[in-house]
Amino acid sequence: MSAIDRRDFLKLVGAGTAGAGAGFLVKESSRDRREQYIPYVATPEDYAPGIATWYKTVCRQCNAGCGIQVRIREGRAKKIEGNAMHPVSQGRSCALGQSGLNVLYHPDRLRTPQQRRGDRGSGSFAPISWEQAYTSVAERLASLRRAGKGERIAVLTGTVQGHMHDLLEIFMRGLGSERYLQYDFSSPESLLAANKTTYGREELPYYDIANADFLLSFGADYLSHWLSPVHHGMAYGNLRQGAGRKRGDVVQVEARMSLSGANADKWLPARPGSEGLIALAIANKIAGGSGGLSAYTVARAASASGLTAETIEELAVAFTTADKPLAIAGGPATHSSNGTANAVAVNVLNAVGGGALVANPSPVIGASATNRRAGFADIRKLIADMSAGSIDALIIADTNPVFSVPDQFGLRAAIESVPFVTAISPFVDDTSAMADIILTPHSALESWGDDAPQPGVGLSTASIAQPVVAPVHDTRALGDIIIELGRRLDNNVATTLPWDTTYDFLRAQWRKIYDARAGSLDGMNFEEFWNSVLQAGVWAEERKGPALAVTSGVIDPGTPVIPDGEFSFHFQPYISPIFADGRGANLPWQQELPDPLTGVVYNSWIELNPATAKEMKLKDGDVVEVSSASGSLRAPVIIYPAVRPDVVAMPIGQGHQHYGRYASKRGANPLAILNDTVDRDSGALAWCATTVSIKSVGERVALIRNSGTPRELGRSILGPYGEGGKTRHESDDDHG
Amino acid sequence: MSVSVLAALRTFKKHALIVLAVIVGFTVGHLVNANFYSDDAPVQPIEFSHRIHAAENEIPCMHCHVHAATSINAGVPSVNKCMNCHRAMPGVWESPEILKVRGYWERSEPIPWVKVYDLPDFVYFPHKRHIQAEVECQSCHGDVQEMDRVEKVSPLKMQWCLDCHKTREVENGRDCWTCHK
Repeated sequence: MSAIDRRDFLKLVGAGTAGAGAGFLVKESSRDRREQYIPYVATPEDYAPGIATWYKTVCRQCNAGCGIQVRIREGRAKKIEGNAMHPVSQGRSCALGQSGLNVLYHPDRLRTPQQRRGDRGSGSFAPISWEQAYTSVAERLASLRRAGKGERIAVLTGTVQGHMHDLLEIFMRGLGSERYLQYDFSSPESLLAANKTTYGREELPYYDIANADFLLSFGADYLSHWLSPVHHGMAYGNLRQGAGRKRGDVVQVEARMSLSGANADKWLPARPGSEGLIALAIANKIAGGSGGLSAYTVARAASASGLTAETIEELAVAFTTADKPLAIAGGPATHSSNGTANAVAVNVLNAVGGGALVANPSPVIGASATNRRAGFADIRKLIADMSAGSIDALIIADTNPVFSVPDQFGLRAAIESVPFVTAISPFVDDTSAMADIILTPHSALESWGDDAPQPGVGLSTASIAQPVVAPVHDTRALGDIIIELGRRLDNNVATTLPWDTTYDFLRAQWRKIYDARAGSLDGMNFEEFWNSVLQAGVWAEERKGPALAVTSGVIDPGTPVIPDGEFSFHFQPYISPIFADGRGANLPWQQELPDPLTGVVYNSWIELNPATAKEMKLKDGDVVEVSSASGSLRAPVIIYPAVRPDVVAMPIGQGHQHYGRYASKRGANPLAILNDTVDRDSGALAWCATTVSIKSVGERVALIRNSGTPRELGRSILGPYGEGGKTRHESDDDHG
Repeated sequence: MSVSVLAALRTFKKHALIVLAVIVGFTVGHLVNANFYSDDAPVQPIEFSHRIHAAENEIPCMHCHVHAATSINAGVPSVNKCMNCHRAMPGVWESPEILKVRGYWERSEPIPWVKVYDLPDFVYFPHKRHIQAEVECQSCHGDVQEMDRVEKVSPLKMQWCLDCHKTREVENGRDCWTCHK
């Protein structure tokens, strides 16, 4: 072996050192990364790691105005529950309300304002700073105002309640524009019109389901979406098994069984559009032929509705013998071409039969918001004005009319013709995709606001909505956006908006409420009053509304349409208990929530009666093309035993072009193919008045449903049917 | 024949030695890291000494770890809390470690402490239960008041938890759901 010389020795030492270093680093990099423990710089008030705090606020997932409380840990919102002190929710909440957390932490939420990059409607945007966004919007509005074209600026919002509405009013006055509309697809427009006819006031009374002992619902799905579903759910519980009372009976008259229909004692599949005639026949029977109702005979109602005369007479007997009967109207009954007439007929039935209605006092706050509630006629006028070029700038906040207004009315093209469109929206949805600038608002859980629930619950109630978490992204409260835009317009507008923030504005308004009642608030000073309302989440006072005096008679509902010829089916889209009017479709928790009646997740479907399906040789999952005079869509079939054979029903909510990763291009939107039929009395969109044809396209999809099979498979779940324990479902080929 | 193999290897001998030196060095470096640079006493962003605070100045544990008795987390003091005391202590105001604390405060940055005791997320460990059962902090965390840099002295393995639950006859102390819920 040759000797190691100096040169070799140095080589070996170098190699050894390099090896040692490499070994050290390899071991170091193979260690698990240490978790860090990061405290606050300065701990916020009432913060303790590991200890939850509950803050009361108001739910904004629909317009019912439920009081909620949110569990906060380490500054993060973890869980939403009902606020037990709030008279609307009384500690309860619904699935859509729970998903308020999904809105707050949604991965598709816009984090900063956006500027359009591609074509209108392409949904391609680039982030910009608030300064750039404010400047470009304010400059545009200011130049219009300077040129005396303030009235050519239109604002279209969803339902804005409470004092936020007043702030918008002030802003619009500053702009010099009268074009401020609140549009909500699910707004009970025909019901309001009917109440104006019957009671002289365009308001909703409190429908006292809780204390009724016979509830007759004409299409109102009060357990899933009608007016205030969480409250009605509790009321239904009390009607059925409240302490110290006899169990109330429930009858549901509707062509497609809704969740409320499934919970009724009796489901009566009357022909769509005949609901008013049935109500009037019952009223006529109760009134004994007097009261100008003699034309509405049981025989006429029976032939129009397809129900038997005995059934209708039984309803009349049940209505008379009940101590506190109540009839309500909603859903398909109020959204067909005779919707207002149907609702008036139900009002007449309540008036004749002594229905359990309680007049609501006028709301403490935001009372004038109803003046801005856009009827569908107002929307059509706005579309016409936009198409005619009389609108130079459009601001759309918190509403998605491009999704909910049928294509037939040309809203999309009308918006495209407006030179400057601003959306105030947390997401790129079908409507905000058309905007030039998107301003990104706080979610409800990050904002100040207040609310007087509409419809009220028979007493005067108002709640303050407080932010329960610090803003997650670089967003601004809607009120702050309005105030800041007002400031940048010019001094005149700025002086009408003298508040720095929404919070200051809200406090100033609540001080007025306090001042008007200072004597009667147990000597509380304003701070104590404000804090007590924040802490309870609600404030209520005993105040009676003016009595409901019936001022006017009947509107004839007419004879229901019997579809024939090419379009031989009634098309009944229905508001989904999961997505509401479609706003919940981008929330993953809602997408994976199975429909309560069909058990389907993630998709659209149409419901067909087994007899119809058999005749057309269709099975579950067969894709069909549903065509109306205005358009067509494709959706798989679900065989649904509880729908009339001449009706095709379809849930509303899916079929968004743009609405984030969970909703975009999923399913189909039934509203897109509706005809331009409106309610002939109120002008409301008659979204249950379209007739369609269906034809198989020869494809099948595997529907994702959690219900497995509708059969018992010998398990005797429904109890034995006759001798030998054979079950009803096993003996029936047509799904019972 | 063997002679010819050795002759063939001879030219590679020096290279083989170098490779051997690298392997030996690598092993030594690896072992040094594993044994002398332990995870049990990680270097913290500030050389905070529990010995000075808890032993010399006799500050009780829960003066800083305020939530231990009421929450699942004991809590680490905010930078504000450090500053509150140290503003009143001119003697160490200019010392290098306090300068670091002041730096965090002035930049409004939290101090990124490194966790010494870290349980997996599937273990529910409430500090408050243990404090309420009068378990001394030291029985799990060791003599922290003697440590300049905190060192992990307990394995935090399930057997170790159960041993104590058994000795102290904890009610439901051996139920799975007590800790895994």
